[in-house]
Amino acid sequence: MLTISTSTRLAQRLAALGILLVVFAGLLTPVGARAASGASLPTFVHPVLQIPRVDVEGYGAISLSLVLQDEASLRFAIASAVPATAGLEPGATFTLGDGLLVIPTVKAGTAFHALRLQRLPGDVFQLLAAEEVVLPGQLDYTTQCAGCHGADGLGGAVGVSLKNCVNCTSLASLESKIAGTMPLGNPAACTGTCASTVAAYVLDVFNGTSSGGGTAMAAIEVLPLEATLRSAALQLVSRLPTALEQARVANEGETGIRGVLDGMMTEPAFYSRLSEIFNDWLLTNRYLSTNGGEAAIQLMRRYPNARWYDPGVANRGSDYVTLRNTTNDSVAREPLELINHVVRNDLPMTQMLTADYVMLNGYSAKSYGADTSIFTNEWDATEFRPVRLTGVPHAGILSSLMFLNRYPTSATNRNRARSRVVYDLFLDVDILALDGARPDGTAVDISSPAPTLENADCVKCHSLLDPVASSFQNWNLAGNFVRARSWYTDMFQAGFNGTAFPGTSMQEPLQWLSQRIVQDARFDAAIVRLVYTGLMGQEPLDAPGPDATAAETEAWLAESAHLDEIQARYVAANRTLKTLVKELVLSPYWRADGLSDPAQGVVHAATGPARLLTPEMLHRKLNALFGFEWRGTLNSYATSRNVLASARLLDSRQYYQQIYGGIDSFTITVRLGDPNGLMVLVQERMANEMACYAVPNDFLAQKTGRRLFAGVDITTQLNTAQERAAVRATIQHLHAYLLGETLALDSPEIEATYQLFAAVQVEGRKRVGVSELTTLPALCQRNNDLLTGASLNSGGVDGRLRNDPNYTIRAWMAVVAYLLSDYRFLYA
Amino acid sequence: MERRHFLRLLTGIGIAGVLPMSLVRPALGATPSRFLITVSASGGWDPTALVDPKGNALRADGLGPVNNYPASQIKSIGRLRYAAYPDGVTPPGTDSPGHLDTFFAKHYTRLRVINGVDTQTNGHETGQRFVWSGKLEEGYPSVAALAAAPYASQPMAFISNGGYDFTAALVAPVRTAAASTFTALAYPNSLTPSDPALRSVGFFSSPTYTAVQAAREQRLTRLRVSEALPERAAQMARLQTVRDSDVPLEALLSHLPATVSAGLKGQAEIAVAAFASGLAVSAGLNLGGFDTHGDHDEDQTAALTALLEGVDHLWTQIEQRGLQDKVTVVIGSDFGRTPFYNTADGKDHWNITSVLAMGAGITGNTLIGATDANFEALKLNASTLEPHSAGLLVTPKHIHRALRDFLGVPAELDALFPLPVEKLALFA
Repeated sequence: MLTISTSTRLAQRLAALGILLVVFAGLLTPVGARAASGASLPTFVHPVLQIPRVDVEGYGAISLSLVLQDEASLRFAIASAVPATAGLEPGATFTLGDGLLVIPTVKAGTAFHALRLQRLPGDVFQLLAAEEVVLPGQLDYTTQCAGCHGADGLGGAVGVSLKNCVNCTSLASLESKIAGTMPLGNPAACTGTCASTVAAYVLDVFNGTSSGGGTAMAAIEVLPLEATLRSAALQLVSRLPTALEQARVANEGETGIRGVLDGMMTEPAFYSRLSEIFNDWLLTNRYLSTNGGEAAIQLMRRYPNARWYDPGVANRGSDYVTLRNTTNDSVAREPLELINHVVRNDLPMTQMLTADYVMLNGYSAKSYGADTSIFTNEWDATEFRPVRLTGVPHAGILSSLMFLNRYPTSATNRNRARSRVVYDLFLDVDILALDGARPDGTAVDISSPAPTLENADCVKCHSLLDPVASSFQNWNLAGNFVRARSWYTDMFQAGFNGTAFPGTSMQEPLQWLSQRIVQDARFDAAIVRLVYTGLMGQEPLDAPGPDATAAETEAWLAESAHLDEIQARYVAANRTLKTLVKELVLSPYWRADGLSDPAQGVVHAATGPARLLTPEMLHRKLNALFGFEWRGTLNSYATSRNVLASARLLDSRQYYQQIYGGIDSFTITVRLGDPNGLMVLVQERMANEMACYAVPNDFLAQKTGRRLFAGVDITTQLNTAQERAAVRATIQHLHAYLLGETLALDSPEIEATYQLFAAVQVEGRKRVGVSELTTLPALCQRNNDLLTGASLNSGGVDGRLRNDPNYTIRAWMAVVAYLLSDYRFLYA
Repeated sequence: MERRHFLRLLTGIGIAGVLPMSLVRPALGATPSRFLITVSASGGWDPTALVDPKGNALRADGLGPVNNYPASQIKSIGRLRYAAYPDGVTPPGTDSPGHLDTFFAKHYTRLRVINGVDTQTNGHETGQRFVWSGKLEEGYPSVAALAAAPYASQPMAFISNGGYDFTAALVAPVRTAAASTFTALAYPNSLTPSDPALRSVGFFSSPTYTAVQAAREQRLTRLRVSEALPERAAQMARLQTVRDSDVPLEALLSHLPATVSAGLKGQAEIAVAAFASGLAVSAGLNLGGFDTHGDHDEDQTAALTALLEGVDHLWTQIEQRGLQDKVTVVIGSDFGRTPFYNTADGKDHWNITSVLAMGAGITGNTLIGATDANFEALKLNASTLEPHSAGLLVTPKHIHRALRDFLGVPAELDALFPLPVEKLALFA
């Protein structure tokens, strides 16, 4: 990509040669052809000068590609010359007689030049003159728009990309948008001619040029639908697909998988996963009882019944702690339950900000003093229902007690922190990145009475920040609704996007704000970004900066164009999250499994990484595959009292939840995406322990009920061809069952695993009775029923599994440990 | 939302692979000559209740006193001054190492105090970022991550206990838990790792385990070599790099107390044990409870007591391991608290704070910087570091410029995250 600096270097070089002029396009003398636009626009991306259509006198139209051969002399060689594609506008003229190539407008990075080149013997073109051109609308765009949307129109931390933007469907639409709302906070600054020329500039320059996205996207090889189904099932509902679901996908293809996904998204497990995704973003689980028994209840000081479960220290029953924790967690989960409710009922995601209710169950309803008769079972902690609280003007999550406390304000802060979070979470706008950098504190004049209203450096951010902050004016420091007697006059008043909150509104400012936010296309983009991040385990690519390489730009263009399409489908489907999930699961980025063209590797440097499973996801995956959780020996599995505290991947005090990169939503809020030295030890211990538990446990079951070893017995060694075939087939099954790999029996990977089994079994068998025992390691022996804890040696029947005379169980344990510590098991 | 840092896009040969080789080289065999511990008082502490006391004189603007103790009770020791306990608050016993008198009497000779640091913000997230990275905006690693970066291949180079621990992909942060957890991880093949007598009995016999590990390594190599997607191959390379690193947790266990303490003390014990065992280079310690918008005097006193007890315990651990000449400790917070009380007897956020340092290379009994009676920062002369009206306001950017120079952060690494600001001798 020709960057600004490259363009500048070229300009400097031309200036040194005395041939650079700066003129406005409107003042240019026509040089033979009018300026092309869109896909016809000639471009210079160092070192290639690409002219989609050159009209050659007396010949026709060709597409010409020149390569800068010598930077010192500014000579170009012809890289290709082919007939031009039909429908393009002329971008240059070439006169055979004098050998002059005239190009009125060449886009070079974010600048434009008019070029004249002379053909020399040997098909070399010598640059004669270059004049920097300023297109109509370019100056206004640069001064008023580029700060947020980027000089290249590809967006930034604040402004959205203007390529394929929502209002870029027509000149009239974009002109109207600009005239009415842009620049944010000061829309009067660009109306009339300014709005129309800027709109034309945006459409001509940033839209219509080939993004290369099609080529980039086409290079992604995707997982087959069957594998996509397995991957989706494990990620979304923590189980393997059923035979019926597999058959439906096999028979109906993509339609089938959409139907299966619809079904999965009605399961409770999906809503657990959804809450994880949204909590990674909102972090309201900071108030769960794991962060303090009454972490959420403590926020409810204005509600006299908040601690309804406490009859006083002297009268507390044995269920006190359970009631306290359940109530606390019911209160804490309210914002995430609102999202679940919206999704479960196919409501538009806008309701997460506009809902005029909160989600309560019987426990939290008691704390809020709400009517509990609406619940079918007031003691069912999973039965959440929408409730309007008296005297609380609900505005979805924005008015949630958890949200307002998670993102608190102060008397001096005036809700600006909340405003920043609203922009960040719900509009995908990083206020702190506005205009690149905040003014250095020592350089800002804050001597005026209200610098946030008067100092241009301050106004830049505060014209966006403060209207939203002021919209929270009736929500106090504790997160409660208390109508403010007055509000600060030395800051921007309640409003959004340049529109002031109408004083005549019957709504509270926060309700009005939430309605405005959800009408903003950036809200849709924020939701797409959030769900993409939750499913992929990484955020979408950032818009390329001025130093981005051509490959980075191409990668971003391809991905962002694809996400734009997905966003459009999501919006068209009434903004139902299930639609968004299905679109993302079926997208080539989620299903990426390889590249058809290795040369595209540079573009797809960040495409399709497998995500390291979070501790919670790994916990569920183990349970789904083996039918039990990783929490110690199976002999005491049924009788273990403290299930949560012994779950190795869910507990952070004695075990591995945080060591393995988990968060507590309080002090640890960012997941680790790459394993460190301790995490690989967790993986190793998990693989060893789970193999020890799972293998004997599977052999304990009848053959037809086994998940792993339906094709072999503990007596199956490698003595006969039949035995060897059975072992090989079992290995093939294990690769498929545990890793999702479909491998031929003669594949090298099956052979490698077979060799591991063989080495361990044959050599181990020799050591039995010599240096090793006949019995299995103590923790691996199966003495008690998994589900009841009852002894397997009772009633005169000894159903225990303790011995391994042939070393087959231990060989299979080795194989399973090998597979459980595999990249394809640990990543999704 | 945190944006993916551009460095992530460059990774192809492991976490440290993004760095110039000159930065990675020290990790290949060198032993770090200095360790760094940062202690974050999360939530925004009140320096006027600690090292920048003001007293209870009423402010001229009618907002009341800065503190609820008389100026006459402000203590001084050596060149340092420290606060008295507010009226109505029951202080900890003087036998507590967190009692102000006890703490300063014991540690003032090694404490360096920098007052009047302007964080330019009163937002927690921004404040933590600025105070611990030197950059107000996103994208810079915490100084503890930066200090560990040249030793990124060490398995626990950077220990994080939360707070601002952004690493810019320079080094993998490691989180910790109870001592028994380390024992289980130190012996991943052991059935009963906590019992030294039975520790050697494993899920697998030694020959079997060796076979499994070898097969696992070979399989990962095969997958990586045949992987077409670059980032996936890079993930495999990183996994392989980490797996290839030896994690001698037994050494860590040998330096841990029999029972690891809770809270900040436990964080200190693990960090120092990791230093002593050669596993870690830096650690970020973290203590909450300072965001005292209500009942400030009571709650802030409790939080500061816990902080000082933790720091005292940290220093004890450092001395017990004989690391006092190698470990530098920097203590700070998101920002300060208002020099007046709100209607809930609390104090809200205020952009002025203090930074404390002690340990290796730090000249103690030193006070730099100042604030006025209303807890506004005073400008300093850049050379003398004395208050001067034509001087400059010290910001976290100055703190980190000086800290990086003091720690000897390699120039190439420093240049990746430039801090163009006046160089002040804040730590020298």
